[in-house]
Amino acid sequence: MLTIKRRAIPAIALAATAVFALASCSAGTRTENANATQVSCDYSAPDGNTTVNVLAYNSSAIDPFTDTMVSSCTTENVTLKHDPIDFGGQVTKTTATLAGDTGTYDIVETYGFVIPALADAGKLLPLDDLFDKYADDYGLNKISASMREGMSYDGSLYALPMQAQMFVMAYRTDVFADLDLEVPTTFDEMIAAASVIRDAGVMENPIALPWLATSDVTTSFQATMNSLDADFVDADGQVTLDTPEGKEAVEALLALKPFMDPQVTTFDQPKVQQQMFNGTAAMSIMFSGRMSDLVDSNNSKLSESIGFAAAPKVNREAQYSYNRLSIDGWSIPFNTPLDSEMLFVMMASAVSEEASTSAVPAAYPAREGMVTSENSPYGAAANESMATAQPPVVSPILASVTTEIRPILVQILTGGISVSDGLAAMQAAGETIAG
Amino acid sequence: MTLPKIDLSTRALITVKPSGKRRVALNRRPPRVTGALLAALCVVMLSPFVWMMMSVLKPTDVAFANPPVWAFQPSFDAFINLWETTYFSDYLINTVSVAVVSTVIALVIGIPAAYALSRFPSYVSALLLVLALIFRALPRFAVVLPMYDISRALGIYDTRFALAIALVAINQPFTIWLLRNFFAEIPRELDEAAMIDGCTRIGMLRRVMIPLMGPGILTAGIFVFLFAFQEYLTALVLTDTGSKTVPVFIATQLGQTLPLLQQAGAAAMLLTVPVFAIAFVAQKYLVAGLNDGAVKG
Amino acid sequence: MKTREFWLLFFPSLVVMGGLLVLPLIRTVQWSFEEVRYGTPGVFVGFSNYIEAFTDERFGKAVLSTVTITIVTTFLLLVFGYLIAVGVNRMTRSRPIILGIMLVSYVLPNIVGAVAFSWLFDDNFGGIVNRFIELLSGNQVLWFTDQVPNGILIIANTVWHLVPFAMLIILAGLQGVPVELREAANIDGANPLQMHINVIIPTIRGVLGFVTLISIMDVLRLFDNLIPLSPQAQAIGNESIMLYVYSVAFSNGAQRLGLGSAVNVLTILIILVMLIPFIRSIFKEAKVVR
Repeated sequence: MLTIKRRAIPAIALAATAVFALASCSAGTRTENANATQVSCDYSAPDGNTTVNVLAYNSSAIDPFTDTMVSSCTTENVTLKHDPIDFGGQVTKTTATLAGDTGTYDIVETYGFVIPALADAGKLLPLDDLFDKYADDYGLNKISASMREGMSYDGSLYALPMQAQMFVMAYRTDVFADLDLEVPTTFDEMIAAASVIRDAGVMENPIALPWLATSDVTTSFQATMNSLDADFVDADGQVTLDTPEGKEAVEALLALKPFMDPQVTTFDQPKVQQQMFNGTAAMSIMFSGRMSDLVDSNNSKLSESIGFAAAPKVNREAQYSYNRLSIDGWSIPFNTPLDSEMLFVMMASAVSEEASTSAVPAAYPAREGMVTSENSPYGAAANESMATAQPPVVSPILASVTTEIRPILVQILTGGISVSDGLAAMQAAGETIAG
Repeated sequence: MTLPKIDLSTRALITVKPSGKRRVALNRRPPRVTGALLAALCVVMLSPFVWMMMSVLKPTDVAFANPPVWAFQPSFDAFINLWETTYFSDYLINTVSVAVVSTVIALVIGIPAAYALSRFPSYVSALLLVLALIFRALPRFAVVLPMYDISRALGIYDTRFALAIALVAINQPFTIWLLRNFFAEIPRELDEAAMIDGCTRIGMLRRVMIPLMGPGILTAGIFVFLFAFQEYLTALVLTDTGSKTVPVFIATQLGQTLPLLQQAGAAAMLLTVPVFAIAFVAQKYLVAGLNDGAVKG
Repeated sequence: MKTREFWLLFFPSLVVMGGLLVLPLIRTVQWSFEEVRYGTPGVFVGFSNYIEAFTDERFGKAVLSTVTITIVTTFLLLVFGYLIAVGVNRMTRSRPIILGIMLVSYVLPNIVGAVAFSWLFDDNFGGIVNRFIELLSGNQVLWFTDQVPNGILIIANTVWHLVPFAMLIILAGLQGVPVELREAANIDGANPLQMHINVIIPTIRGVLGFVTLISIMDVLRLFDNLIPLSPQAQAIGNESIMLYVYSVAFSNGAQRLGLGSAVNVLTILIILVMLIPFIRSIFKEAKVVR
């Protein structure tokens, strides 16, 4: 019995040493991401060693900015730490870190949709003074004014815009060419094209939209309503779900559903990308940040056959396109113990001109006129989409209303309840939030 | 209803080589059909890992292709990128060190407690078993959510120490119960004999009991290590960036794009390999420990 | 043993368990009577959290689906565990290899196994299971959006994860069946089926009871494997009680600690009620031995 113990202990010790040795030999060789640009990042560092925790989800559009920030601003004493995380994880962690008096993260990635609620609750630091102070050093005035507006609330800037994202349609140029199809500009044209593709036996479910039941599905519903010049609430904060526009929007989505994968309510944007990679869908509409993956030859053998078009409208009379204009940016949480000036400089360096230029075509930077049809395969489509997007309704209750109505919307789309019952239920749920 | 007292005590199982003569094979032919069925079962049990390994080794453009691609040029990019561009090495260290620290602390405080309880009459053991069962059956959130609150208040949130201590506490009832059963096999006369020779109780514990209990301690240690290693829920709630463990990391990559999904798969594979080793090597101890629980329980 | 010695030896464990198990439990009970968020003191609301939990349709569905999955899984674990144990009992030389391979799915973290499992069933990722099914029957099975197939997927993964444990314990029990008993039955002319049903299973009743108990306790707390296998659990009615607590009390802006704690307390009570018969039999046995 003693011998068992004697042999086990050295074995365990050896294994443990091996693990530690291997780990430490790699810890220093964190190779810089190919997308990282070296820019100047001049801040006054505090004494001693500091770690700055950055919360940002991974995507080919966000990564260039994150990686530039991490690699340019890390020094001997100050380490920027960015853990890989998916979008759902970022949403959860944002709530968690902003909940109490202390949080884990010092810089968080935010987007226009959540700014009103967070700003209203005092969870983010206003950045106006810092912006004015560093505008010249980092060329911040070249950031599009409308995007800065999109990240402001109640007159103050709450996030430094890094990029814009709008819906872009990606489609299979080869399939459309073979079947002599025009690029759709309305939902009906999409359905017509899908029928032709299905009847020709090319694909069973040619349309792909991200309808994940725990997040993306409400974005799609909101975009549909926006096309009809409506939203979940109006500018006065009244809930406007059980309305003719709401009904038309739900029915439009239901009309698309038969042409989509039956499991579409489990699809987030990466899964929709996967459908394009696998050739199981011929048309998809997603945020522009997911577009450059589609033409990356490392991801799929079909990368040469993908074309881009502007987001369609719900119907020919609609004023705006089926579209959400989302501005992504960097914010400073109210509960970070670190110096906000240092953090702002880090954020500013990440959105500087060089960083933004090199982020094209993966991202659509927030600076004026960076993306054209020449430097980005989806540039023309993106610009056209942006021009036809509805000016957003700003309301601090929009985010919570969305969370509340989401399960009901899923029920409507999966046929669990009728359209009229569903709309009434959503209206009631929204009104409990509106108070 | 008690089972006949065949020598199924853990010490016997571990220290005595199983002699095939104990069971009379009523069917003396080599069990071919059974063997074939069991082999097929092993294939089925391993198939998820084999499939994941294949997906991780395929180049990204065919890794998740539908219909699946069977002939491909294997590539280790997922593993290399995982190791070099993420903090996977940190997560691995966190996972292993939390498991090791939990095990050490659990044994250090569990062994004396188990010994003390073993010298009490058997209705105490029944009480212990009931408590161990109740605590094991608890919905973990009932314990972990307050721990989240306390750890934030104390400032030890997102540290490896907090996670290790939490895991010690959660598994302690089971640990004590397991160790107590081992101790109960050692006759009390041994205690008396050692103490007559002038040892204090604690000294006797150190010099006589623990060496005798080697296999038992190893078994309990392996179980605690495994429970800590496998833990997801507690780690999810109590860690963030500082002490993230590998299971939590893998779960945060489920909504990522292809290359990162492959890296998550690579992380899972890197966990599977040592687990395979543990399963083979520690098998004897796991079996004996589970046996003991079944027989005595 | 002197009382002082006992407490000296037992004290560290007592502190750890008392401080980190009992105190949090008390806190949970306290929270269950309050409307509270993290970091802020709570407001006493009496039983309203409990009433809300009882009348919440979502909680009812979670209980129903968790209990259903538990019953089916436990049954399958007993059946498969028994069959596999009988098979392994027959093998002698290859036993270590078989046990080693079988243990892998038990020893690996549940969430890792579930992710690997989910890739097999996901068409979008080239999973082969649907290909086989299509070959055989021409139909597609929606593993992630239909309630029953998703339930089957969850049960399959849970059984896959826990059957090595069940099998090992039953194997130990089988090895405890006295040889004389089997020989006597053989002489009496029992065929293998009768042998199992009338001789072996009654003899290992205690072991089977133990496996049932542990399975029920573990599967009632289902959480880890739902994350990859059932991303849409709430919408299709396959949410487990723990997943419900997680979304209500911890994740995604829903920070109803009071409600989550009330559900925790209710779950504890349910589990205690289910444990009573087992506890009684344990105490009865202890009295006999004494």
